[in-house]
Amino acid sequence: MSNNLHQAGVKLLKQLSRHADVVMDAYLAGSVSESTHDVAVIEKLKKSGILWRPEPDEALRLKRSVRALLEEALSDERNRQIDANVGSAFSTIKTLADHYKEARHNIDYGAAEAYLADLSEHVYSFTDSLRYSIRVLWSRINNEFGYVGSINAKIRENELAQSQVSELLNGLEMFQFSELSEIAGDIRELRRLLVTNLQETLSQCTLELSAVQGRLLELIGRFRQIQGRTRLLKGFLLHTELHPDYQPENHVAHKHVPRLFNCAEAIIKPASVDVNNASHEIVLLEAVSKIKAISRDLLPSKVREHNVETTMTEVEDFDIPDNPLKLAVDEYFCEVIDSGLRQSALEYLKANKLEWEAENWLYQVIGGYEGLPDEHKAYFELEPIGEPDPIYSGNFMIHDVELWLA
Amino acid sequence: MSEQSRTPSQTTASSETTLVGTGMLIEQLLRGEFICRTTNEDGWRALKNSTTFDKVEQYLNQINRTISSAAEGDVFFCGYQQLGEQEKKVISSQFKDICSALIPLVEWLVLVQESSGQDAPLSEGAPIRLTELQARIEDTPAFMEQLAKLSQYRLFGSTSSNVDNQIKLVFKRLVELGYLVKPNSEKQIYIATGKLDYLYEVIRFIDETEGLSLEAQAETATQRDLV
Repeated sequence: MSNNLHQAGVKLLKQLSRHADVVMDAYLAGSVSESTHDVAVIEKLKKSGILWRPEPDEALRLKRSVRALLEEALSDERNRQIDANVGSAFSTIKTLADHYKEARHNIDYGAAEAYLADLSEHVYSFTDSLRYSIRVLWSRINNEFGYVGSINAKIRENELAQSQVSELLNGLEMFQFSELSEIAGDIRELRRLLVTNLQETLSQCTLELSAVQGRLLELIGRFRQIQGRTRLLKGFLLHTELHPDYQPENHVAHKHVPRLFNCAEAIIKPASVDVNNASHEIVLLEAVSKIKAISRDLLPSKVREHNVETTMTEVEDFDIPDNPLKLAVDEYFCEVIDSGLRQSALEYLKANKLEWEAENWLYQVIGGYEGLPDEHKAYFELEPIGEPDPIYSGNFMIHDVELWLA
Repeated sequence: MSEQSRTPSQTTASSETTLVGTGMLIEQLLRGEFICRTTNEDGWRALKNSTTFDKVEQYLNQINRTISSAAEGDVFFCGYQQLGEQEKKVISSQFKDICSALIPLVEWLVLVQESSGQDAPLSEGAPIRLTELQARIEDTPAFMEQLAKLSQYRLFGSTSSNVDNQIKLVFKRLVELGYLVKPNSEKQIYIATGKLDYLYEVIRFIDETEGLSLEAQAETATQRDLV
């Protein structure tokens, strides 16, 4: 018998693994459409009770037990199923304990053993489901019901969770430990299972559930505050729309001004700089050094009456005709080179009967000398001839210059 | 440093670290600023610590000021310790300022909440990305109308018909008024301050004292909308 069961179970699990894709599709989408999957596969899964059809023309869905297995194994946060049916678990445990006691009484050890195994299975699965429920609750709290969008939905989810918690707590209250210990009597196995084990788990769970309840209340308080603020704002706008001349009453005219409105005037202004405080000197100097006075930043930008556009075009060729004065000076330089003699500029001017003004001529000669590249300049010596100004000291009046080859 | 004698080393250390900032904290309070976690976290922590709180309070008491708090003790501001005629006048004018700012501010809060599709209205610490908000407003003509309307209130005083100018001015004013802070001057990200939480408390106070039942009004309106 147990061999058959074993085989059947292995077969079922293998089927699950072989068609894992279909199962996960159904899990994620909620249902599976027969058109997209192999008909034979679907038929097989249906037969082994993995998929089922809730209504004749509904799509196929996963069986609750398979779904629960996946939800638990994947810790899926959308899972909000909680088995709060503590009452039936309690009566099952009680019934099985009675069976066991009867079998023991009748000295039917085989049956007693089977009942005890069954009982342990029930007790453990009950405590496990209880712990699992609490885990589910915590995971929903920890992400603040993040799987739903709006604040109203969060409030509803919170209320659902709260009702589940109170159901669980009510259920746990039904466990009368005195009754359990009475059932267990003085049978060691039963005492261990029902009194030590169960009792300990239950009191732990009760404690944890009250923590859950506290957190839920705290969360709902926050959600309500957010919701309250939104409503407050909308309500205020509605109210002012309905009563356009609405003005809040003068709440500060009463004898006792509400603390909320007791706002003091701003009295403090930045302190002034004390330039006589020597200890501030470094800081002040630093501040002064950072001052940049760029006055053009403060000037208003110029507005031109016309749009002045510049266009980039190719530069036209042009040449500057040589200045005849400059050419004449070049001649003079050449003359000095040719003759190799020291020559006065003014004398040269007179000798060649050039028409330039003496002053212009001198300036151009000096300019011509200074304008020479350094290596050429080194070949010449230029000496200004003149005397210090008779009245203003430091000025030197030039009458003439002399140029010769160095 | 008189506490040094009576406190164990750990608290001495903490009061010493907060001591440094007390001057700035008092200054901020006297400038009429609201201290919250967002505007001045160190100062806020200092006021949460009873030693520094007492120290600041003692200082303020000498000039007839006291530390007031709102939003369940998460926002601090400076109030008068005793109210004479002069102080009452100040409070009365401050109250008028708040009342005249209520409608523009509430309209702005609702606009921000609705355009960003959030459940929760802005509260302390919530960031606003100006460019995102502006894009959303520009996508919806109704939001643009709301912005145009509220930016023209005297509180904001915009005369522009351009969304960009309007929203920039509104945000600039809100920073000036202390409802927002802009932590990085180069980024268009603003963070709501505790002064907004104070504003909610003011509205709630008015609602409760005048029996306006604003929340109920809003609820019936939304239910009507749903029907």
